[in-house]
Amino acid sequence: MRARLNAGRRMLRSFWQGLREWCGDAAYERYLRSGAQQAVPPDCKLTAEQFYVEQLDRRYSRPNRCC
Amino acid sequence: MNKIFSTMIWIAVALLGAGALAEIALQRGESLNAIWFVLAAVCCFLVAYRLYSGFVAAKVLALDDKRATPAELHDDGRDFVPTNKWVLFGHHFAAIAGPGPLVGPTLAAQFGYLPGTLWLIAGAVLAGCVQDFVILFCSIRRDGKSLGEMAREEVSKRGGFIAQLAVLAILVILLAVVALVVVNALKSSPWATFTLAMTIPIAMLLGIYLRFVRPGRVLEASLLGVALVLFVVVAGQWVADSPSWSRAFTLGGLAITAAVIVYAFAASALPVWLLLAPRDYLSAFIKAGAIFSLAAGILLVRPNVQMPALTRFIDGSGPVFAGKVFPFCFITIACGAISGFHSLISSGTTPKMILRETHARFIGYGAMLLESFVGVMAMVAACAMQPGVYFAINSPAGIVGATPEAAAATISNWGFPLAGQTMTGLAQKVGEITLLNRAGGAPSLAVGMAQIFSSTIGGDRLLSIWYHFAIMFEALFILTVLDAGTRVGRFMVQELGGRVWKPFAHTGWMPGILLSSAIIVALWGYFLYQGVVDPLGGINSLWPLFGIANQLLAAVALVVATTVLLKMGRRQWIWVTLVPMAWLVTVTMTASYQKIFDPNPRMGFLAYANALAAQIAAGKIPAAKIADTQRLIFNQRLDAVVTVVLASMVLVLIVEALVQWYTLLSRRREPVLHESPYVATQWAPDFSGVAHGDD
Repeated sequence: MRARLNAGRRMLRSFWQGLREWCGDAAYERYLRSGAQQAVPPDCKLTAEQFYVEQLDRRYSRPNRCC
Repeated sequence: MNKIFSTMIWIAVALLGAGALAEIALQRGESLNAIWFVLAAVCCFLVAYRLYSGFVAAKVLALDDKRATPAELHDDGRDFVPTNKWVLFGHHFAAIAGPGPLVGPTLAAQFGYLPGTLWLIAGAVLAGCVQDFVILFCSIRRDGKSLGEMAREEVSKRGGFIAQLAVLAILVILLAVVALVVVNALKSSPWATFTLAMTIPIAMLLGIYLRFVRPGRVLEASLLGVALVLFVVVAGQWVADSPSWSRAFTLGGLAITAAVIVYAFAASALPVWLLLAPRDYLSAFIKAGAIFSLAAGILLVRPNVQMPALTRFIDGSGPVFAGKVFPFCFITIACGAISGFHSLISSGTTPKMILRETHARFIGYGAMLLESFVGVMAMVAACAMQPGVYFAINSPAGIVGATPEAAAATISNWGFPLAGQTMTGLAQKVGEITLLNRAGGAPSLAVGMAQIFSSTIGGDRLLSIWYHFAIMFEALFILTVLDAGTRVGRFMVQELGGRVWKPFAHTGWMPGILLSSAIIVALWGYFLYQGVVDPLGGINSLWPLFGIANQLLAAVALVVATTVLLKMGRRQWIWVTLVPMAWLVTVTMTASYQKIFDPNPRMGFLAYANALAAQIAAGKIPAAKIADTQRLIFNQRLDAVVTVVLASMVLVLIVEALVQWYTLLSRRREPVLHESPYVATQWAPDFSGVAHGDD
């Protein structure tokens, strides 16, 4: 029973993380975890707000939505 | 034993699919249940994914999981982000699935359900999915380069320039035609106009929340936004019921055209976080929900398809748009079968986020299969309604008449019985003043969706709510395409202008932003205006133009793919991309020729222009309308020139590619492949991406 509960909890957690990744909710956390950011001093990293605006400017400067 | 069992299952799936296809193709005279469409599509897609995409992955492309992808090599947490394959599938699907797979099949339903359904299934399996998959693979092997860059490197410099120009041209026509769909859906509809207008302040509210209150918390903001949007769908009814508010939101085609143009200009020039991005978030959630609901609704209701397998309009005399089933069915349905625009997505963000090469099969081929399934669902929704109603909604007033009685008489004469009261009653039930002459596909799809949804929940009582929910859903993500496309077009104009005067290319310079936004909006706005004032319904000229442009871009993508395969030494497999390319070139060149030179004025741009000119010369046009008619003549000639330019650009690229293929096949030149150097992956075989990497 407990094993099933754990499996269910893992599945839900996985779904939740996937949903956050899909919609961009986890983008800043992902940026902080990325390989390139590991070597950057903390005060040189973008804040959540800076990252959000910078990411949108890049994403919407090339075709990203089809007909 | 397991292998025998698995083989048996796949044989059973294939037989079931073949049986369902036979039922769809051979059934005559009796109504057909929608479940056959679902079975045919699902079984064909499963078998195609298992066998054909497996063959392309293993033999043609020889995908290599030991090779590091751009996401691993350049992981910067911004563009290059290793992403779980299910998440990336969702991203890619959300990017490729726009209004096209809904509107195209709805328009092509005028030929009957059979041609469009067969093209959706066969086109996706053999052409569309292959294009998306191979271009994604090519881009992964080239550090995520764009289609234009790959065309320049692998085909020729001119090829790259042509691809860039083709993208800009397609963008302009695409934006005009999707805007026309919105205009036709909103005109004379206070409920729909109010609902859509309210999504602008809602999006701005979310933009401020996401920028200043909780930066980047997309999920909670989007859920709040979706709740507000659903509320304004319901509130639209109160507006429609109030005489003063209703008057304020009842707008004609030209007024809505002006509003859409001003909106797109603002969305392009304003900071992206304020309006464009939050609307996109809203649209993504509502799109996913509505598409899932439509599929679930069709499975639950299992409506009977009332449209015949083939209508009399396969001869080219269709009221929705003129043109025979060949070639026009194949350019009317682009997204859903094959769409050149997808190659821009497959060589855009996705290749920079993919974890392993083998994921390209699931994401490139698989996501396109899902889009095609959406197209089949749209075909079912359009064909499940009474055919007379379908033609009344989608035919222009110039052909069926402007009153319910006139339309009913004309359409009944075509063999699709319809009473005038049916249209009046249906309009009342869905809360509209009229449903006549709404060419564009959106309102008829909304009626089809509303009938399916209301059969599941609420019955006739909720028909009007479901109808306006469907209209809001279509219009919302069409506007997302419109504002995102206008912004991208603005960047392209700035880049081109920068070649003449450098400061113009600086994307942060306000005069440059305003001028380039105005140029791109003026370009598609003119085509939109032309469509709105066209007495034959703008869809008749603009949708084929868009289809031709989109399929020509697909031909460009397949030329690049074939060249890469040849350079990789896979000459025995080049038919995988060469056959769809040859088909598309045949279809689009035939359609281009007919749209320019056909002597039927409803069909040929030049014939229509000449017929109007002859009417002026014969004094048949009243003096007050001569200026308008001369503008119509100019528009038709302009459309002919645009078609010639598009077809010529692609012909030049094909000739360049043929020369290159000849030198490669005759071994006069050593192939030079511009792949990035091989680097072995450092990731463990079970690494599944950052999203779940720390589980």
